[in-house]
Amino acid sequence: MKLSSMRPIALVLSRELVITALLLTGVSFVVFVILYFSPGDPFSVLLEGQMPTEEARAGVREAMGAAKAWYVQYLSWLVNMLQGNFGTSIRTGLPVAGELIRTGLSTLMLTIGSMLVTLMLAVPIALYSAVRGTNRVSWTLTMFAYVVSALPVFWLGYIVIYFFTHKLGLFPMAFGFSGVERGFGWLYFLLPVFVLGVGNGTISEVIRFLREEMSRVMAEDYIRTARAKGASVWKHSFKEGLLIPVTEIIASKIPFILGGAVIVEEVFSWPGMGRMALQAAKDRDFPVIMGIAILAAVFVRMGSLFQSVVYVMVNPRASKE
Amino acid sequence: MKNAPLLKIEDLRTYFYSKSKQAFIRSVDGVSLEIARGETLGVVGESGSGKSITALSVMGLVGGGPGVISGKIGFKTEKTRKNLLQDLDDHVKLAWDNGKIMGVDKDVVGWEKNAGRVMSGVRGKEIAMIFQNPKASLNPFTTVGSQITEAIQLHTDIKDPLQARERAIHWLSRVKIDTPRLRIDNYPYGLSGGMCQRAMIAMALACEPSLLIADEPTTGLDATIQSKITDLLAELKSELGVTTMLISHDISVISRLSDSVAVMYGGTVVEYGPARDILASTLESKHPYTSALLESIPTERHIKAKEHLRAIEGDVLDTVNIPAGCRFYARCNRVTDTIREKCERHEPDLREISPGHRARCWLYFD
Repeated sequence: MKLSSMRPIALVLSRELVITALLLTGVSFVVFVILYFSPGDPFSVLLEGQMPTEEARAGVREAMGAAKAWYVQYLSWLVNMLQGNFGTSIRTGLPVAGELIRTGLSTLMLTIGSMLVTLMLAVPIALYSAVRGTNRVSWTLTMFAYVVSALPVFWLGYIVIYFFTHKLGLFPMAFGFSGVERGFGWLYFLLPVFVLGVGNGTISEVIRFLREEMSRVMAEDYIRTARAKGASVWKHSFKEGLLIPVTEIIASKIPFILGGAVIVEEVFSWPGMGRMALQAAKDRDFPVIMGIAILAAVFVRMGSLFQSVVYVMVNPRASKE
Repeated sequence: MKNAPLLKIEDLRTYFYSKSKQAFIRSVDGVSLEIARGETLGVVGESGSGKSITALSVMGLVGGGPGVISGKIGFKTEKTRKNLLQDLDDHVKLAWDNGKIMGVDKDVVGWEKNAGRVMSGVRGKEIAMIFQNPKASLNPFTTVGSQITEAIQLHTDIKDPLQARERAIHWLSRVKIDTPRLRIDNYPYGLSGGMCQRAMIAMALACEPSLLIADEPTTGLDATIQSKITDLLAELKSELGVTTMLISHDISVISRLSDSVAVMYGGTVVEYGPARDILASTLESKHPYTSALLESIPTERHIKAKEHLRAIEGDVLDTVNIPAGCRFYARCNRVTDTIREKCERHEPDLREISPGHRARCWLYFD
């Protein structure tokens, strides 16, 4: 790629990064304030099994630095975070940053994998019905996708486990990275990735969006020109009809998939941030919740960053603006 | 018309089905035309007369159903000779009633596959097409140059990208784009409408097709650019002798470039013959629609006398409900009492009224 075409991409990247920084600060502030003023005491987990006296509670709070005013706590958290220190989990005492990397990576794999499953199902159906219009085959496929989209992910998860693991004994219920080390670990990923990809409720929407975009592009004058000169219609419609819509879908569906990931991780005991978030919410483990909120926001922003970069790379006009 | 015809359209019918009206739109309803090698045929008529659909039918680019339903399109060069609508009858069943087609049963998917086979090696290579609205007709996501080199690599012996690029530059300068070496790397949005049309022409001619179909090539451009594009087409015609089917509602463009002219109305050809006969301002033996069309063009006389232009009364024929008699009857200002009944009841056929000059009007025969 030529240097001249790298400049607009760099421009977009820097703009997106500034937006991301502002957004993350905003997210952390809002989440912190909500947590601070919500009822419940995060430190009761440390005194579990005891009949804590008021003095004991106060002592713990003092020791954890929680006696200060809320804004002092927030600012010190922010300063530490900027240095890569997300604090330590109240429950486990482990540094949050390390936990975030471990669970974040595994959720990222789940998210990307299920996104691929969704697209692998949706793209062919969308393209087929864009080209052929409504006929018996496209109608059946679309209806099937609507039904599948309506299946709740927890239900689908348990059905899949029951069928494949208990009935067929195919995929053992030992998920996680230990399987990877044994060489054929990718097999263990298949079930949760499939369940989240099918059951995140977005397939029908993805199909409809991609079909509409492709049909619109197919009716463009320049596609008629491509036909008239005997060139491949797919080659000419690919960028506007498929690439741009697919990146848009990826960017806009990440929040939904993350939401679905919480349930899938719980059902499949997948060691991801969704499960960690659930546990942290139960414990009121503030540092962990803050860290997860930040990481989830980072994921969402990564999607939109990806979309902007692809758009600028593909669309010559956008790069001039 | 000395040369053997390169393209011979016989009784072409292209219909569309309107769901809301529960009836066929008879866009092209029995059109027969010929284009001799080296000749430019001008097809003129109002919007909705079926000119563009005729051209798209030749290219096999009609979208929507049922599309082309009957006819023959003979295409004959030194190398190839084929019917572009080969095996159409195998894919279409027509139900006739009272000389009108009332039902069409077409295997659209099968036909499109068949047409794809027949048309591969013809589209872009033997027959090239340029369109109105040149800016939208070029792919906005790639450079003009890559779109031209793509055509060259697809249809000529030049496969090497650098050679193809040189060839594209050659054609860009041929269509009078200045600094073609710079322009070749431009995206369409960086070029004006006129430049885009020049690039389209370069792309069409770069594969040296036997036939060029120009569908309203000047429509949607500024008036000055229109005349420049017309100049360019005239120059290319005299230099290269490309056989051209020129479609336009602009009679000045048609008269500038055409050797013969077909006037279309309501999906049929109403007058067909040498350009000088049809466009001459004096000749009386003309179809009433053609004379009305010619009278609606502003001339020097109109402008000097500050006269009002004569518009054609009434609306374009509704091709859903085609009347039984002459299609132009409702708007015709030359019906006489002797022929009135025939005009109303029976559609005239296209008959020769002088050598090589045919018209579809009861005025000239009985």
